[in-house]
Amino acid sequence: MSSRFFRGGSESESESEESLTSDEELSDDLSEEESEDETERQPIAAGAKGRFIRGVVSDSDDSADEVKRVVKSAKDKKLEEIETSVRSIENAMKINDWAVISTEFDKLNKILAKGPVSPKEKDAKEKDAKKKMNAIQAKAMVTMKQKIRKNNRLYEDQIAKWREDTPESLFRRLREVLEARGKKNTDRLEQIKTLQKLLEFADTPYQSIRNIDPHTTDYVDRLKDETELYSTIVRGQIYFEQHGLDDGTSRVVMRRLEHLYYKPDQVIQTVESLVAEGLPDTLKSEITPPSVTNDSTDLIHALCVYLYKKGESLLRTRAMLCHIYHHALHNRFYTARDMLLMSHLQETIHQADVATQTLHNRTMVQVGLCAFREGMIKEAQSCLQDICGTGRTKELLAQGLQIQKYSQLSPEQEKLDRQRQLPFHMHINLELLECAYLTCSMLLEIPSMAAAGSNPEAKKKIISKPFRRLLDYNERQVFSGPPENTRDHIMGAAKALAAGEWQKCQELICAIKIWDLMPGTAKIKEMLCRKIQEEGLRTYLFTYSAYYSTIGLDQLATMFSLPVNAVTSIVSKMIWNEELAASLNQVNNVVVLHRVEPTKVQQLALMFAEKAVAFVEANERALEQKVQSGLVNRDQRPKGQSNQTRQNSEKHTAYQKGSGQQQRSRNNFNNVLGNSVRGRTQQSRYRA
Amino acid sequence: MADYDLTPRMIPYLDRHLVFPLLEFLQLNEIYPAKDLYKAKYDLLAKTNMVDFIADLHKGINETEETPEEFTRKREEVLQTLQEFQSEAQKVLDIIENPEVLANLRQDKLQNLHYLEKNFGLTEEMANTLYQLAQFQYNCGNYGGASDMLYHFRILSTDNELNLSALWGKLASDILDVNWEAALEELQRLRETIDSRPVVSPLHQLQQRTWFIHWSIFVFFNHPKGRDDIIDLFLQTQYINTIQTSCPWILRYLTTAVVTNKRRKNILKDLIKIIQQESYEYRDPITEFIESLYIKFDFEGAQKKLKECEEVLRSDFFLVATKNDFIENARYLISETYCRIHLKIDISGLSKTLNLSPEAGEKWIVNLIRDTRVDAKIDFKENTVVMNKIHTPICQQVIERTRGLSFRSQVLASTIEKHEAQNAAALAETVVE
Repeated sequence: MSSRFFRGGSESESESEESLTSDEELSDDLSEEESEDETERQPIAAGAKGRFIRGVVSDSDDSADEVKRVVKSAKDKKLEEIETSVRSIENAMKINDWAVISTEFDKLNKILAKGPVSPKEKDAKEKDAKKKMNAIQAKAMVTMKQKIRKNNRLYEDQIAKWREDTPESLFRRLREVLEARGKKNTDRLEQIKTLQKLLEFADTPYQSIRNIDPHTTDYVDRLKDETELYSTIVRGQIYFEQHGLDDGTSRVVMRRLEHLYYKPDQVIQTVESLVAEGLPDTLKSEITPPSVTNDSTDLIHALCVYLYKKGESLLRTRAMLCHIYHHALHNRFYTARDMLLMSHLQETIHQADVATQTLHNRTMVQVGLCAFREGMIKEAQSCLQDICGTGRTKELLAQGLQIQKYSQLSPEQEKLDRQRQLPFHMHINLELLECAYLTCSMLLEIPSMAAAGSNPEAKKKIISKPFRRLLDYNERQVFSGPPENTRDHIMGAAKALAAGEWQKCQELICAIKIWDLMPGTAKIKEMLCRKIQEEGLRTYLFTYSAYYSTIGLDQLATMFSLPVNAVTSIVSKMIWNEELAASLNQVNNVVVLHRVEPTKVQQLALMFAEKAVAFVEANERALEQKVQSGLVNRDQRPKGQSNQTRQNSEKHTAYQKGSGQQQRSRNNFNNVLGNSVRGRTQQSRYRA
Repeated sequence: MADYDLTPRMIPYLDRHLVFPLLEFLQLNEIYPAKDLYKAKYDLLAKTNMVDFIADLHKGINETEETPEEFTRKREEVLQTLQEFQSEAQKVLDIIENPEVLANLRQDKLQNLHYLEKNFGLTEEMANTLYQLAQFQYNCGNYGGASDMLYHFRILSTDNELNLSALWGKLASDILDVNWEAALEELQRLRETIDSRPVVSPLHQLQQRTWFIHWSIFVFFNHPKGRDDIIDLFLQTQYINTIQTSCPWILRYLTTAVVTNKRRKNILKDLIKIIQQESYEYRDPITEFIESLYIKFDFEGAQKKLKECEEVLRSDFFLVATKNDFIENARYLISETYCRIHLKIDISGLSKTLNLSPEAGEKWIVNLIRDTRVDAKIDFKENTVVMNKIHTPICQQVIERTRGLSFRSQVLASTIEKHEAQNAAALAETVVE
């Protein structure tokens, strides 16, 4: 426990976010061991630690002075005694000598009881001792525990006082550390530790920006400080680089990247040029030379590549996600998609920590929005599906807590959740996101609903559940007023599209105000209008093909104001894909429809056939899984794997490759992006 | 036309000797200035031992008749080294060509080596001289000789690394020796080695595959069986992935092979998907042809692309021979798709789409009806073709859907059986261990 504590602490060097995780760890550990006042203890313990270490530092100062100053006040003496006691307890702890600990603890208490020591000091020692006890409570030192508990009760009010004291004394202690800097006999490592402990209380910019109301000027003021912070980061990076501290460099590079990846080009450029001005000529970075910092994409590329090469796996993952996010932000859908697929992040992301998963969700959403801006409706829908389909968008993106009616969350859990939230300026606009998602869903769902027609089996194929739910709800309404919000607009548009009124649909979609937040609004609206026309045509053909024997292509073209060749192309595609039972008559330029409604028996027969296919597929999947798990077992066999078995296992992989079913069904996103995903996924499996 | 020339993209993945025929071809085509090509050839071969040839090139570039001093000197050096290598290698060859030795060689290489060392004093190093000689001969342009040496070397050597190099070397030698039968065999062997070798790093394997794909094109488009094999190979998951990841331009060759192949029906769908996916990374008239035909259903566009395809094929070293085949098959694809979508077609219109005269168009359609057994009739008076489209009845649909099921179940059953057997074997093995 003790060592874990230290480790947890040292990790939190300059990053409040990480210190949060260590806090988490701590509180978990504590609560495991002692249920009594667990919530308040943890910060105290941490505080006491800082206090204690400071004690050590000042102690070393004292000893330096000792030559001159022989006379000591009674208080000082007492302090010294306390310290020796504590130290012997510590030593005893190291060798697990509980007898010594017990006596020393009693001694300590005696000293404390004796006299006028400042409550704070007393308490610090007290707490410290107690913490040490906690450390090895696995040894079941029940008696010690009781003693401590008794003690605690004795000093209860002082403990309370001590706690109040902590945040205010932050700056004082910081100053003390600063003063001690550069003096002889100052132990640097100890000081760093002190600073780390202080950090746990500190109101760092990252935390404060989370807590300030984003609509106030305070928030903006705080944001203005970011440039300074960023410049510190850059300087830090150069420092680490020049001293060849690889570990530090990767972390600081990561931090820099996290400041950059979600920002638009202009902001990055402004900040970069400001920082570059502030830097003296002697400070030059190898990773990010000035030639790179001029262009945000180059800069992010340079930072990411550094992390890919040097960083540990968590940093690599995060760097990759940031990189993809950046590409998506700049409308490079294919690059982003390929990176996402080739990195195989989606397979392992479930094991990542919450912050990384959040980043992954943000990235997916951004990729989806990018696809939407590029007019790739299907891709956009499938990217957004996972996040928007859950109804917990806010939570998944760490942009606010979802208020749950019957929430079982303990206050600590809630606090942790709150700490994970992203600051406002990093948020992805949720309304815009929903709007894009629902629009995509509309463009896909309405034609598919029309195609399903009266076939009950096909009706069950739902592309977007939230969309269907909203539409159902909307249709149940007795009286629907004029659309007020984004959802109303889209629902109205969907109904218009289903009824073949594509113009009304266009009007409603274009009337949505939130589109203005997307760059290139006009182009996006234009793209959407065109899509609405096309999907309108498809919906029309699906819905009404049963009632016509021929339809003129020209007529269709005027009806949906599309060029004739576009209509021909759409109709041809539908015929080729066997979505529409029809053919073209080139001579008269008409579509000849042969649609016949199947009878009940025929329908059932088809359904039956489909189920049989599904059944066989399920069997294949089951077997594949079994073979795979068997394979894993065999691979785990120690050594001496003969050639024979290796060949066998290769055959197995070949079999897996042959039927990529499992991959397809498991991941929705992969499913839609199709073959290459499957292919690329398996390539790595093969290589592995 | 230089836009669609793939030579610059392919050169990094080829051996310098293999690049040479490509450059020769470019010279015939006159896409690039002749002078540049001379220079390129010179740079290409300057490091090889084909001294006489380089000297000629040098003369060509500088337009002189003299042979510079250094070439004469180099020539002598080369000849001398060759002599040395040959006498060294001869010893080894004498040993292995001994009938008694031949009779005693077994499958196990290690055992062979022991046997040879014991009885004839043949060491591993001596065997390696064969490899060195082969490499030297290859560098001199004596590909047949190099191929022979490597053949012998492979029997003897136990060094995995050198063996792999020998495989590559033999493949290159056979390609350059225009021995397609042997090359195809080598291709198979090399592929097995690449696929089965323990992976050093994924990147390394990717590189090996990329090289392999590029080299294999030489064989595939020259061997009569090649156009079947290329489809089988390139559409395998690991190879199509390699193409998508590191060399999308290979899609041109794959597409051509698919289009000109008779049994393409099922493959075409996969190909279309791949082309669509990679269209942002690679496109040329040949992939665009497929794109406009099967993704956009733009028949006029497809026709335009087909014309461009002709040009591209004519100036592609590998595909020049397939040009007529491709055009013929592409037309067939167009009309097949056209007929499937249309009910009544104006013959003159179709002829125009196919870039044929009305008479030729009619003849062509008649042939098409006959060949593909499309149920269609020509209405001579109206000059139209009428398709008698019969829509697949529901029972047919049911049959279609359930057709593969019994076969798949059988495969399933046999896999289970195999699996059980393997488990039993593995178990037995563990017990033995």
